[in-house]
Amino acid sequence: MPITVKFFYNFREATGKDRIEIAGTKDVRSLLNKLVERFGQKLAEQLYEPEREKLRNTVNILVNGHGIMTPHGLGTRLNDGDVVAIFPPVCGG
Amino acid sequence: MPSEFERYSRQMIIRGFGEAGQRKLKAAHVIVAGLGGLGSPTSMYLVAAGVGHLTIIDAQRVELNNLNRQVLHWHLDVKRSKVRSAIEKLQAMNPSVEIDAKLKKITPKNADGLLRGADVVVDGMDNYRTRYLLNEACVRAGRPFVHGAVEGFVGQLTTIVPGKGPCLRCIIPKEPPRKSVFPVLGTTAGVVGCLQAMETIKLLTGIGRPLVGRILFFDGESANFEEIEVRRNPNCPVCGGV
Repeated sequence: MPITVKFFYNFREATGKDRIEIAGTKDVRSLLNKLVERFGQKLAEQLYEPEREKLRNTVNILVNGHGIMTPHGLGTRLNDGDVVAIFPPVCGG
Repeated sequence: MPSEFERYSRQMIIRGFGEAGQRKLKAAHVIVAGLGGLGSPTSMYLVAAGVGHLTIIDAQRVELNNLNRQVLHWHLDVKRSKVRSAIEKLQAMNPSVEIDAKLKKITPKNADGLLRGADVVVDGMDNYRTRYLLNEACVRAGRPFVHGAVEGFVGQLTTIVPGKGPCLRCIIPKEPPRKSVFPVLGTTAGVVGCLQAMETIKLLTGIGRPLVGRILFFDGESANFEEIEVRRNPNCPVCGGV
């Protein structure tokens, strides 16, 4: 059973998708690598600082509703059936 | 009281609302923290709905570039304090509501004291540093906190009830980078601020199902609402022990 990835706002623009299903990812890091392989440079720019050294601090990731502390949470394990949501911080008020 | 029956008659005839719901609103004390794009519509709709006691908090003055979205403040209010500008309009909208205004910046030292006595606190802030302070103070007091945020055409909303669902730190564990200027359309803030008032009324009256354990994303460009489930982090530094 694959995992489901839901994209919001700029991540939806970068991928052209609301959600996808993807298999064979053991943790969040490998998921992001697969997503960049699939969706290319536009998504990579949204996710990573230049040179891809680290994840931008404008990336929020929930795994089954739990916020992960990026970048430390990139090792968060993923299991079949998990739901991952990727969204930017919305800050204004 | 007869004029109050007339004033609120259209909402009192909503099934399940009635005089009992109106009395709950009248007995309630709500704090709106921040009188910008979110706090403007939230406080207006709460006052119109007949919340008995409203406290508004803001330390800033009205600027011309606020006026596309901060609908409580008008052209002639530029350079006035937001609380003074707001209390005049809110009190004129509904003189029977007790409104007090606090021209204060929310800090780690004063947050608990500023929020004391509130049944619900509404997030009208424009930065996560202060949102986290409000979240922490509300968790400490077991007080509901209605979070909202907007940018451009998009917004998000969730209702935090300590002990029953995740707090803001569970959902957004790290502080996003602070922006001094962010793009925003007034109507986006209007949508989210109105929904924050709706959540507050639901919490106070006990009607409906508040957005606890769910975050609602609004995308005005595609006219789309989507919610996702959010869960408590048992190791959350803020609410983990609650």
